Parts: sequence; C-alpha cells; structure tokens
Amino acid sequence: MQALWKREGISNNTLMVVHCDGPLDHARIGRALDRFLDFCPWPSARLRRRLPWGPLHWAAGARAALAAPPVRHKRLSSPGALHAELEAELNAAIDPRREPPLRFAILDGAAEAAGLQSALVVTWFHPLMDPRGGQNLLAHLAHLDESDGRAPWGGAPSVFVTGPDPRPLKERGRLGRSSQRYMRTLVPEAPVSPGTGLTSPGRVRFEQASFVGDDHGLGGVRSTREICWRLALVGSTMADLWRRRGLPDLPFLVPVSIDLRPKGEPGATFGNVLAFHFARFKPSETADVDRLTRALRQQMTDALRDGQIDANAVAMEFLKYRPLALMLRDLPGTATRETFSFNCADLADFPPALEKLFGRRVTNAYHAPSVLPRPGVGVFFNRCGIKNNLVVSWIEGAMETQEVARIIEAIREGMGWRAAH
Amino acid sequence: MSTGNLSRLDPEEVARAVTDFINTTIMARTRPVRPDDDLELAGLDSMALLKVLLFIEAHYGFWMPDEDLVTDNIRTARAFAAYICRRSA
Repeated sequence: MQALWKREGISNNTLMVVHCDGPLDHARIGRALDRFLDFCPWPSARLRRRLPWGPLHWAAGARAALAAPPVRHKRLSSPGALHAELEAELNAAIDPRREPPLRFAILDGAAEAAGLQSALVVTWFHPLMDPRGGQNLLAHLAHLDESDGRAPWGGAPSVFVTGPDPRPLKERGRLGRSSQRYMRTLVPEAPVSPGTGLTSPGRVRFEQASFVGDDHGLGGVRSTREICWRLALVGSTMADLWRRRGLPDLPFLVPVSIDLRPKGEPGATFGNVLAFHFARFKPSETADVDRLTRALRQQMTDALRDGQIDANAVAMEFLKYRPLALMLRDLPGTATRETFSFNCADLADFPPALEKLFGRRVTNAYHAPSVLPRPGVGVFFNRCGIKNNLVVSWIEGAMETQEVARIIEAIREGMGWRAAH
Repeated sequence: MSTGNLSRLDPEEVARAVTDFINTTIMARTRPVRPDDDLELAGLDSMALLKVLLFIEAHYGFWMPDEDLVTDNIRTARAFAAYICRRSA
C-alpha cells in the first residue's frame, strides 16, 4: 500500500449496496454463504506471507476450519441513518490478516417512506475482488439459496478464479518490465490531486445519487456510454475544481480499469481480473468534451495497439498481490507520494440475473469504493435497471461537500439525466 | 489479408471474419455471437469496440474514423461488414 499511509490503518474497503423491496432473511444469506464455502474457501481466507520477505497470498484452511464471514443485521430508523451506517462500514477497515476479507450487513427499515425496505451491504477488502467479482459472488449466493438441497450449477461448480497465464515466465517477466518502463514515461511531472498536501488520511465519505435518462450507446460522437466520453466529462468537472482552487495546469493522470473477463458470461469472482490504461490530459484541454473524448479514444487505441494494456495485465498478474505498491513505485511522482489526479470508473450494469435476491426484488444497487488519501476523490458510474447511479467517494480534508455536490450536478447535466424518484 | 482486392469483398465473408474475431478474442467460448446479434447487448464495451477497430485496420487496411462510429455501422458484425464493404468499394 501507499508507503506514506503504511501505518495509518487506512481503509481499503469497498461496498456494494443492494436495495431490496422487503426485509431480507439473514439466516438465508448465512446458509448460502456457509454452503458456498463447500465449493470455494476464499470468502474465509486470510492474507499471508509464506516468508517475511515473500509476496502476499490468500490462504485458507480445510473446509472444517472455515467459518463463514459475518452477517450483521440492524434495524434503522431513517435514510440518514442508512447513509451514516454505510460510511461507517466503509471506514471500519478490514484487516485481512486477522479477519475474513468480506462481511455482510442487512440494514432493515431504511428509507421506508421511499418504499425501500432493506439494504444488503457487502463490504470487502478491495484486492479480494473487483466490483464485477462482488456481483458474481452475490449471484452465486443467490443461486445456492434457490437451489437449496439440489446440486448447484448443474452439478459443475463455476470457475471462481482465473487460471494462470499460460505464457512462459520469461515472456511474462519481459512484458511486466515493459509495462513498468512505460509507466515511468506517462507524464513529465508528478500529478497533483485534491489530496495533495494531505499528511494524514481523513475519513472516507461518499455521496450517491440515482438518475434516469437515455444513454447514447457506444457509437457516435456523444457516445455517453463510452468510458472515454465519461472520463472527458468527469475531467471537465475536475478542471473546474482545479480552477477554483488555483491548482496548476499539469496533466491529469487517471487510471482506467479494463475488465479482462471474456464477455457474455460472469467470469471469475476472486482475484484481480483487471488491467489498467492510464489516461493523460490537461485541465485546460477539457473545455470541448467531444474533442477530448476523441483524444482519449486515440490514447487508448495507441495503448492497445502498442500492447501496453496486455503488458499491464501481465504485470498486474505477475506482481501478484503487490500491484498497487509496485505500480506506485514506477509512476512519476512517487517520490512526492502522489498517485493519480482522481479516480474514475464505469462499473457497468448490475446483472439483470440479480433482479431477485433471497426472495426479494432488487430496486437498486451501486458500489462505493474507498479512495486513497491521494488522489482523495473518485467518481464511479453504474446502472441498475433504468437507474443510472453516480457515486463520488472522497477523503475528508481533500474535498468539501459543496465541491462534491457541484461535481454530481455537473455530471448529471452533462449526461442529460434527471433525478430518479 | 492483402488490401489489393478490397473492392471484391464479399459481405458475407467479411461478416463471418468479424464475427470470428469477436468470438475468438472478446466473447466467452460458451457465448458466441452471430452476425446479426447486437454487440452492445452481447456485452461489448469501449475496449472491445477498439479491439474490433484494430482488427479492421489490420485486416482491411483502414481506420474507422470517429464520425463513422455510429450505431448503424457498429451495432452488429454484419453492420461492420457492410461498412467495410462500402468503404472498400
């Protein structure tokens, strides 16, 4: 983890919040989790080193020694109480060396006026799995719940982790080194971020808003579903923040995650199944979002054409469980403890297959990941049915709530969305 | 593929080539697409779209410019094929 915060116990938690139309039965979830452990131990694993200087790895004992992750149940009185509870979950850092890397909470009675009866909250240590992995885990648990007493997955258990890269170690090492060399050339100077200057990490906060409105698909100039367009729009809101704060016009450096799973089926649940592209653009280049979109698309095309995305994927796998720490070592500005300018990701659609969960209908679902003190802010998109969710996570001290509200409103306006009721 | 015979491209053959590329490099083996399947509904994202564009560049010798990335040209493998054949005529 980022060296500056090594002993600060900062949260690497990420949340998946699933709203359902009625109270959830925590015993059903507990049973499904317990049954899942018959097939896959990783929800109860611990992060270990074989030797003090060795790489970290997930370790799990025999089935008899595995205890299911906790499922907490709480009745809440108001929507405000729900949000406070979610932020507390985000900040109660999971230590995967000493406890299970994920936990569940059922928060009942929240937002009853709006018709919401229950929220299922899955909190996990971020490196355990990515958001799609979290959704896959939930789908597996729902499947086990529905197939109670019968052989699940048609008798052929699903694949929970990706297989090893079949390429020889020498080739993977070469690709990993080429990725590291490339990263050193990304930007001429260390990026600045809203978290620049933070010397101690503050609490993680987040704001979530749901909107409706048509997205334009992957084609066309204003292809609002395209990650480059969304990044350009978020970049323009960040440029506004930069102007208000008088931050320098240095290039933004933004990691763009790329899901490596084959399309059309859920794919792996646990482990890293992402590669990263690194987008670079100046705040002063954000005025024309369509033009910036084209430039970002060209950058991504060049990275793909040059094999840099494949090399990054290999480096991430090759460096096994230390990708962030080692990535930071190679990024410009590591000496000043800067990472990226901000985070931005589109976590795509909540699987339609999860329309029903443990006997309840899902009314909305979104992810709220914690962000590192630097950059100190992240913007995350996802969709659930007709709802477009927008989550801004930030670190107290790096951002003000009015600044977050301004970002959300600017993105809503840029996307042409209206508030969902 | 040589770019010398582009004017004689067969739309069916091109649709098959685009479909094969998508199925071998983007889709899960158990979820192949057919030439008329909606690619976005099948799960193709921004990065997958770029991979298809690079395939077209490598095999048919031209880059699809941004202004041509409209739904009518990229919705299905067959739509890509029709565009490639028009461009090559």
